[in-house]
Amino acid sequence: MASETVENCSSHDPLLDIDSSDSSSGVKSDEYLELQFRVFRLAFLLTIFSVGIAGFFWGIQAGASLFIGALSGIFYFRLLARGIGRLGTSSKIVGKVQLLVPVLLVLVSSRFPQLDLIPALLGFLLYKPALIIQFLSMP
Amino acid sequence: MDSITTAASVVAAGLAVGLGAIGPGIGQGSAAQGAVEGIARQPEAEGKIRGTLLLSFAFMESLTIYGLVVALVLLFANPFAG
Repeated sequence: MASETVENCSSHDPLLDIDSSDSSSGVKSDEYLELQFRVFRLAFLLTIFSVGIAGFFWGIQAGASLFIGALSGIFYFRLLARGIGRLGTSSKIVGKVQLLVPVLLVLVSSRFPQLDLIPALLGFLLYKPALIIQFLSMP
Repeated sequence: MDSITTAASVVAAGLAVGLGAIGPGIGQGSAAQGAVEGIARQPEAEGKIRGTLLLSFAFMESLTIYGLVVALVLLFANPFAG
């Protein structure tokens, strides 16, 4: 009797219908992947623009530091996006592994004199303007 | 670097990470709770909810990163070291 009630509810209520939610999951993940792709593309464009300006005005070393920092920022954002993509499906929490990226960046910048700390940190934060632009352009 | 500067730097690094992680931690927890509840209620809006959660997490976690960077600079590239 109870199983019949559950079957009736699941067949009529779209929120409880597992089949309908599974059938649209591909569309949902595509939307999420598309957002990530747009942010990555914006971040790469900003990186190229900023590295060019930094290399022209402050030299090759500052440009290289900015470039490495920007790559670290994009990698950090990728790890964060992967953690959020797993939330609710295979994980109950968002991992903190991505916080190792700025730690390693500062450690490497302090150990190697070829890298400047300030341009590397500024490059790391270049994903934020990309996020702001993406956030403002969202409908 | 004298011992007082070293001690103050270590204490300041601990405070920067510890105090800087409180607010974003609370905010991320409540944001994740709301997002998971929203996905459970409206599975068809999962993509938009995850996207908004990603943007808000990135902004919140940058506050933690600021504290982390200040702490690491104090520990490994201290500007007050003589």
